[in-house]
Parts: sequence; C-alpha cells; structure tokens
Amino acid sequence: VIELYAVVDADGPPLPPALSAVTRDGLAFVCAPAREQKLSPERLWEHEAVIESLMADRDLVPVRYGSRVEDEGAAARALEERHRELARALDGVRGAIELSVRVLGDRADASPKVEEAASGAEYLRAKVRSAVAEARISHAVHEPLERLARAAMQRPCTSPGELLRGAYLVERAGVDDFVRQVSDLQAQHPELRLLCTGPWPPYSFSAS
Amino acid sequence: VRDKLLHTPPDIDLFATERPRLDALTRRVNADPESVERGLAQLVLTIVELLRQLMERQALRRIDGGALDEDQVERLGRTFMELDKRMAELREEFGLDEEDLNLNLGPLGNLL
Repeated sequence: VIELYAVVDADGPPLPPALSAVTRDGLAFVCAPAREQKLSPERLWEHEAVIESLMADRDLVPVRYGSRVEDEGAAARALEERHRELARALDGVRGAIELSVRVLGDRADASPKVEEAASGAEYLRAKVRSAVAEARISHAVHEPLERLARAAMQRPCTSPGELLRGAYLVERAGVDDFVRQVSDLQAQHPELRLLCTGPWPPYSFSAS
Repeated sequence: VRDKLLHTPPDIDLFATERPRLDALTRRVNADPESVERGLAQLVLTIVELLRQLMERQALRRIDGGALDEDQVERLGRTFMELDKRMAELREEFGLDEEDLNLNLGPLGNLL
C-alpha cells in the first residue's frame, strides 16, 4: 500500500530520496510506502512537512492526508482516469501559494450564544449585529486582500469574536506585497486583530 | 509553526483559545463503514443546518424591513434559540463540530 502526497509536473526537480513518482502524460503523483494507520496530529504534521518540502521548489496540488492506493499500478490508473481534472487543478495553482488570514473583532460583534441571550428578541438583534459586522469586515479587509490574490474564498467563522476566515491564492512573488497590505489594514483598523499565516500548500484551491 | 506567522497582532494569544482539531479530515461525509451512523447523522444535520440558516436569514430580513411587531420578533427569536440549542445537542451527541456541517461541493465551493 502506498500513500499519495501531491500531484506535480513530471519534469520537475528530482524528488527527495524517500519519495517516488508515478508518472502519466506529463503529470506525476508523488508517493511513498504507507506507514502505520494510526492517526495523530504528529502524523498530519509529517504529511504536511513532506508537501511543504516539495512546495519549496515546484508547483503542486496537495493530496488530502490518508489517500492511499494498493500499489503504483493503481496510482497510475487513478492518474490516468483523473488526468484532465488534475492537470486543470495544477494549472490553476501554478506559480502561487496559499495564505490564510483570520480576523478577530470585538466580542460585542460575536455571534450570540443561546445561554447568554436575555430574550428571543435580544438574541435576534445580536444575530443582526454579528451579520452586519461580518459584512463590514468582508468589505474592509477581505476585498482589498482579494484584489492582490489570484483567487480567494471565505470560510464560515466558527470561534467567538471571529469575523473573517479567508484563504488567498497568491503569486509567490506577491507574498511580500500581500503581507504589507495586511499590516496596513491592521494599522487602519486598530480595533481588529489580523493574523496572516503561510505560505501553505493551496489546499483551498485544489478542489478534487 | 513560528515561521508560518507572516503578520501577527500584538496579542496573538487571542487566536489560541480554540481547541485543536484535525480539520482536513472531517470536512467530507465520512464513508468509512465503521462510522456510517456518524456519517449519516452528519449528512442529515448538514441539511437541517442549511434550512435553519435559510430560515434565519429570511427572518433577519423581515425584521430589518420592519415587517414584524415586538411580539412576533420575540417569538421568532425564541424559536431560533431553541433550534440553535437543539442543534448543539445533536452535534454533541454525534461528536460533530460546526464546521463538520458543511459539504465540499467541489467546483461549486462549500454548501454553507
């Protein structure tokens, strides 16, 4: 059984020693013999580290952790069957990486907690407040960042006080400008807390 | 992880209050035969959550438009609070997070 890590161009730089490539028509699956099945945060980070080491010197479409096939023949068949889709995905992220931006705001703008609402009307009013705050942040923070990105998406906010959870597909050469824009936005909005992380493999832009 | 921080606010600790989760693993309906029940619950609750959000948006729009009196707003609010509470209980029961109640629709993006 082998584990899949990423889809890359077949004619890229040589792979690190522990990894091998299964190639078909210009594309390659990067893979390695599968190890123990037990899932842990450490295993996930190892998987991530392998993908990131590849990302340093080539474009790639990351494969979700836990994608295993029987042998190299099965990997080749999978590559053949989904060749068009994977080639399109790789073209879509070529030359770019993913950056993540999260924004925390005032707790007063947070989505209301059932336990804290004094009445039904108060609960709904708090809902309206948080919807308005999210829309405001989308306009004030997400839109200027989106303009610096090849593609962008927003995920639903889940933690208390969170107003934006954005993913941005940014040209490798444009990362510094993007981060500078984040710093500028932070300076313009001292009431917010902006966190920018990356570069990440383009997980949010590799629909597969 | 430190070298992943490109811009940080002075009080970065505020971002560290969530419990860690194995994000990428749960965003799809789990088809593992050993967890079919959980996968099915996830699918059903996702659809219920979709309807809940649609109704909520509708309600907020009606309130915004001033079409409802105080009593109606209070009753609506109570209803949504009950729904919210019940959803949280069901999620808890099946070990699901809010983010689990979303489906990746491929090129169409996420359902919610």
